[in-house]
Amino acid sequence: MATILVVVTFNFLLFRVLPGDPAKSGLRDPRLSPAAVAALQERFGLDKPVLIATDGGDPFDSQYFAYLGALARADLGVSYAFRDRPVTDLLGQALVNTLWLIMPAQLLAIVLGTVLGLLAAWRRRTRIDTGALTFSLVMWSLPTFFLGIVLLYFGSAWFGLPTAGRGTIGVEFGSLWEQLVDIGRHMFLPTLTLALVLLGEYMLIMRSSVVEVFSEDYILTAKAKGLSTFRIIRDHALRNAMLPLVTLIALTLGFTVAGAIQVEAVFSWPGLGELTVRAVGQRDYPVLQGAFLLLAVSVVLANLAADVVYGWLDPRVAQA
Amino acid sequence: MSQSSGRGRLAACAMLVVLLSAACMAESPPTASPTEPATGGPPATPADQPTDAPATPDDGRPTAPATPDATPEATPTTGGTVRIAMAGFPDYRNPGNGVLAEAYTLYELVYDTPITITADGQYVPELASEWSVSDDELTWTLTIVEGATFHDGEPLTAEDVAFTLNLYQATEDFPFLPSYTAGFTAVEAPDATTVQITTEEPIGNFESRMVFMYVLPQHIWEGQDAATFENAEMVGSGAFSLAEYDQGISMTLEAVKDHWSTPPIVDRVIFQTIGNPDARIAALQQGNVDMITEFPATAVNTLRNDPNVEVLIAEPITGSLTDIFFNLVDPADCPEDGVCSGHPALRDVEVRRALAEATDKQQIVDVSLLGLGEPGLSLVPTGLGDFFAAGVQDYAFSVDAANQRLETAGYVDSDGDGIRECLADQNCPTGDLTFRLFYPNDSDVAPREADLISDMWQAVGVSVQIQALDPDTLTSVCCPTFDFDVIRWGWGSDPDPAFLLGTVLCDEVDSGWSETGYCNEAYDALYAAANVETDHAARVDLVHQMQQILIDDVPYIIAYYYKETQAFRRDTFVGWPMEDPTLTLQSAESLTTIRPAP
Repeated sequence: MATILVVVTFNFLLFRVLPGDPAKSGLRDPRLSPAAVAALQERFGLDKPVLIATDGGDPFDSQYFAYLGALARADLGVSYAFRDRPVTDLLGQALVNTLWLIMPAQLLAIVLGTVLGLLAAWRRRTRIDTGALTFSLVMWSLPTFFLGIVLLYFGSAWFGLPTAGRGTIGVEFGSLWEQLVDIGRHMFLPTLTLALVLLGEYMLIMRSSVVEVFSEDYILTAKAKGLSTFRIIRDHALRNAMLPLVTLIALTLGFTVAGAIQVEAVFSWPGLGELTVRAVGQRDYPVLQGAFLLLAVSVVLANLAADVVYGWLDPRVAQA
Repeated sequence: MSQSSGRGRLAACAMLVVLLSAACMAESPPTASPTEPATGGPPATPADQPTDAPATPDDGRPTAPATPDATPEATPTTGGTVRIAMAGFPDYRNPGNGVLAEAYTLYELVYDTPITITADGQYVPELASEWSVSDDELTWTLTIVEGATFHDGEPLTAEDVAFTLNLYQATEDFPFLPSYTAGFTAVEAPDATTVQITTEEPIGNFESRMVFMYVLPQHIWEGQDAATFENAEMVGSGAFSLAEYDQGISMTLEAVKDHWSTPPIVDRVIFQTIGNPDARIAALQQGNVDMITEFPATAVNTLRNDPNVEVLIAEPITGSLTDIFFNLVDPADCPEDGVCSGHPALRDVEVRRALAEATDKQQIVDVSLLGLGEPGLSLVPTGLGDFFAAGVQDYAFSVDAANQRLETAGYVDSDGDGIRECLADQNCPTGDLTFRLFYPNDSDVAPREADLISDMWQAVGVSVQIQALDPDTLTSVCCPTFDFDVIRWGWGSDPDPAFLLGTVLCDEVDSGWSETGYCNEAYDALYAAANVETDHAARVDLVHQMQQILIDDVPYIIAYYYKETQAFRRDTFVGWPMEDPTLTLQSAESLTTIRPAP
């Protein structure tokens, strides 16, 4: 909670020390008539002092305390740029879109990354290892937008995959299955792009972690007991090797919620990343504050989840 | 504020570029104006076709390439769903609040206006079958057509028109539309088919103001707080009605088959936002969409080589221009809160003329736009028809002439570093002709253009320090702060020149509309005269004289007028009005004319 309060305060102040006046640019027309600017400033409370009112009246009659008060009521305010849309509305819609994109991608990357990393470590110094390592390094170091554009080009030219959106709009589907196929076709390229980028990193961490675990004495003991390789991996290596990966997944999960910005930009995906970028350009403080709050909360939650999983993977952590 | 309105550079660039980022990334110097892309005109006669054509199941347009001759029995002559991919998305359904070009595309399809403008710049009747002005030129009388209805079935009457005009005038929160009613003292509907508008003084551009007056149903808007009304249903009287609206993703418009004037032939139009230009192009080539509204110049050849795709390159009727402008403000006359740090030498008209001569506009067009533009002249783009001063002579590109002019004026390179020194009494910050050149960082082409300008001016002994600024910061250093030397930016124009020409008035220096601080009383007098001149030819003549003054005094170098790119598939719909060079394909005029490919 303390973390979040600090983040809230920091966000609030950060955006207000930037140059530019939201009453002009944030409200979309830098050259509105003075009357219109005054009317808009009043509506959004921008005519009030920023932090603490020092004009002799109520010291809490300021933008900051108004913001905190609204926040306590789960009211994130109204977007400056889309004046008829509450921020919670905009964020909620974008969050759903983003989750649609990142959840399958994360899942795919986690499963494939773990399996590939394990395989590479198990078959260390073989062609499988070299191949997987090279593939992961290339994927990890490729700029996301570049990979996205390349996949977009080949995906649409060779396989006729759609290049944008979440589904074909305005079509009556004959069955649920047809609709699912349509959604799947639309999601394929963005999900693949994001999954490939994440996968490289996961695989590398997993591999080095497993290699390390394999050199431990208890693995040697297990081998000496005559256990099969599969059982050694399942019962002894995997759990311990997962720990660093869990940390990494928790960290990336928190941040990808804020938007796989580049993937969203390439595939015109109306998620949180796109919303945030747009809000920055427009000095849309309420949306930015909301988006950053969401980011902070999701990072905190992801770390919490990591701690819980830690405890399950490694009982020593839970006891400590 | 000047009588006409519109959106300005900031409107044009600050937001459009930001919001409509892809659009402006291609640096369509954004069509910030409520670009009313040529609607109306004579009703497209969909020769008494059945409104519900049988055997034309709308399958939402298959993604597979249409094979016209494969299924002759299913040849539809009506119906079909047109899919259009655009770079951005409307910002508001409430037409008073709209800023983006996409919003005005939507308003134009859903609403009717009293008067509309055709692709060739003629003002023609829409809801007003005729209009006239009294002998004292202070009372306009509009005759409203009978039989027009709103999408909910209610009749549209003169009361709705009068209500709308009064609403736009009274709602100060609306960014642009109120200014089109500036100077109206009363708008009344004495009977169901007559609207009377009385004005303070004669209005020279009355027709062009009516083009943006989207007529709203009084029975829905009455009692609402107009500024905050969401207008989710968008009940209008236009040829299309809003069926679905998914903010930032897509909107679906259903054809109003019993429209009073221009019933569409197709069944529906779906606008889908695809921000990435590469993805838009791929979607068109794959057949996922039938038309795309804008794409970068680099893709023109790719699309031209596609046998299923037709490319249209045109300067829209509400053209946009890219300009290079100078800070002319003398610190002694600095507006309140201004910084006024402009380079003193730029207040010398001979320096500005020399820079104009040193600027090779054609090269900028060729290199930066790959030819998709034409060299600019003044603040009136060629798309504005006879208002464009074709007879005014621009400075011919000549490095020699520019050098000669600077020598004669006393600017010599006395220390041999390649940069000319300022005159002794100018008190320049660096002592020589070194200018700061700012440009908006949301434009793809601006960096290249800034480099070109730097090279060109270097050739005449002028040094340029280039800096990219985000549009918001650019706004804050520009006007009325005047903390710059030279800025490369752009404007979108109204179909009437009054708005852009009004930004260089003396009165606008303090207001922030003036970007240069330029002030010339002779110019202001011509502007005032043009404002109240209701005779078109006489007004055109005044507008030409104003452009001549702007050429002589060089507050601006207009680098070029931008052309728009659009492309559509030949195999899905036919009848796109190709022949008109100023038409935008997503306009009502276009979408009510097209029909499915046989």
